[in-house]
Order: sequence, then structure tokens, then C-alpha cells
Amino acid sequence: MKQIQPRQNYLGPGGWVWAGKYKLERYLYLLHRITGLGILLFLLIHLVMTTIFRIQGQDVWEATIALLHNPWFKIGEYLVAAAFVYHALNGLRLILQELGFAMGRPTPPIYPYKDSLRKKRPWTIALVAVIVILALVFFYDFIAGGW
Amino acid sequence: MRNTYLQFLQLVTGIFIAVLLGIHMVIMHLDAILGFFGVDVTEATSWESMIERAGQGVWAGLYIALLAFVLYHALNGLRGIILELAPSATTERIVTWVIIAFGIIAFIGGTYVPLALLAGQELS
Ligand code: HEM
Repeated sequence: MKQIQPRQNYLGPGGWVWAGKYKLERYLYLLHRITGLGILLFLLIHLVMTTIFRIQGQDVWEATIALLHNPWFKIGEYLVAAAFVYHALNGLRLILQELGFAMGRPTPPIYPYKDSLRKKRPWTIALVAVIVILALVFFYDFIAGGW
Repeated sequence: MRNTYLQFLQLVTGIFIAVLLGIHMVIMHLDAILGFFGVDVTEATSWESMIERAGQGVWAGLYIALLAFVLYHALNGLRGIILELAPSATTERIVTWVIIAFGIIAFIGGTYVPLALLAGQELS
């Protein structure tokens, strides 16, 4: 029997984005990772603002908030809100899936069979629809709330 | 085995964040929609509104808890992404400790200001 060599299937950084035939759920996972890192970047900026700037008192705080009303920051802020909605709801789906809740009964893999992810795909698509609707609600609020 | 526990905590912190950050996002962003339902939150980012919340122990506690959960979740997630490159054991240890050190510094920095504001409010 052929020995498996260490790191024989090592993909390097490319493995972050592509590791074979991807199904819908794998693309959602990629987006989960991107949104997670995006929110982390926001979190770091946000922490600087709410600590170093906030402790300097009202004037500095109001100047910071005024800066954030710049349209580019507003767009960034909306993207963070949308990323949060996606990451939160898809994350709750991942929690159910990884802990094996609500995945249905296991069935013997006799051809033609459906794996459990594919059985639940209609729900996954419904979840994506909910995410889109919520992202639109946040969008409405960004427009209606005044820039 | 150890990474299994870390990943489990990733899921648990995710649930806590969903609740706490959900509150935070609705207060900060959905003012127009809250107004529609008759809940009046005036300019959550104004100095007066911010200072009022900063003076209440409940808010300070919620934010500090959120900070702890979010730092664990995001930095553990980042560590997982980096370790997918399957580095040597030494590099893995360095990555882990740099991330832990960063998390502790961010937590101390992020806790100090809310506590200082809370204390300042009680004095004045
Ligand atoms: C709203 C509540 C949240 C929930 C329910 C949630 C859920 C999850 C779950 C279940 C995972 C693990 C995915 C897996 O390993 O299969 C995850 C990963 C991650 N999360 Fe969150 N999360 C939330 C908020 C956040 C926030 C606020 C941040 C950033 C500040 C964040 C950053 C990350 C990162 C960087 C990862 C690693 C992604 C990866 O390994 O591909 N998450 N999240």
C-alpha cells in the first residue's frame, strides 16, 4: 500500500479559497470567513475610537462621530452591518450543523442517496433569503436615518 | 483534543455574541425602525446618550462581557485560519502566544475606559 507522505496534500494559502469541488455550503463558509475577518478589522478600529478617542472628552468624541458621517465611512458601516447579519445567521446555522442538531436521521448511503447537507439545502436557501431581507432592512434604516 | 474544546468555545461564544451584539446593533443602527414601533432612541451616538449609558453599571457590564466574548471568538477564529497553513510546531506556538498577548492587551485597553467612565460618573 502506498504510504501517505506528510504534507502530500498541502495546498498552501491557495487552500484558503479552493480545495476541490465546492458545493453551495462551502461558498457560504468562505463568505463566513471573509465577513468574520471584516468584522474583526472593524472591531479594531471601533475599539480605538471608543477607548483612546472617547476618554479625551466630548469635543474629541463629537469630532470623531462627525468624521464617521463621511459617506465613505457610512458605506463601510453599512457593509459591516450587512456582514454582521450574514455572519450571525449563517453562524447559527453552522452551530446547528456542527453539533449535529436538526440534521435529520442518518440514512445508509445506497445510491442514489442525498447527504444530510443536501437534504437541508432548501432551509439553507431560505436562510439566505432571510439574510438578504434583513440586509435590506438595515439598508432602509441607513437611508431613512439620514446620512 | 485541545483544539476541539477551543472550537466548542467558538460556537458557545458565537451564541452569546449573537445576543449581546444583536442588542448593540439594534440600539445603534435601527433607530428609524425602532421609532416606527414607538420606541424612542434619540441619537445613540450623541455624547449625552453615550455618557448616560456609560454611567450605568448594566451597560458597562454588558459591553465588557461582549468585548471578552468577541475577542476570544475573533482571535481564535483568526488563529484557526492561520493554522490551516499547517506550520511547524514552533511557529504554531508563536502564533498562539502572539494572539493571546494581543487579546489580553486589547481586553485591558477596552475595559479600562468603560470602568474609568463608570467611576467618573459615580463621583460627579
Ligand atoms: C453574531 C454572532 C456570531 C455568531 C453566531 C458567530 C458564529 C461563528 C461560528 C459558528 C464560527 C465557526 C465556523 C466554523 O468553524 O465552522 C465562527 C467563526 C468566526 N467568527 Fe464568528 N460569529 C459571530 C460573531 C463574530 C464577530 C463579531 C466576529 C469578529 C469580530 C467574528 C469573527 C469570526 C472569525 C474570524 C471566525 C473564523 C472563521 C473561519 O474559521 O473561517 N464572529 N463564527
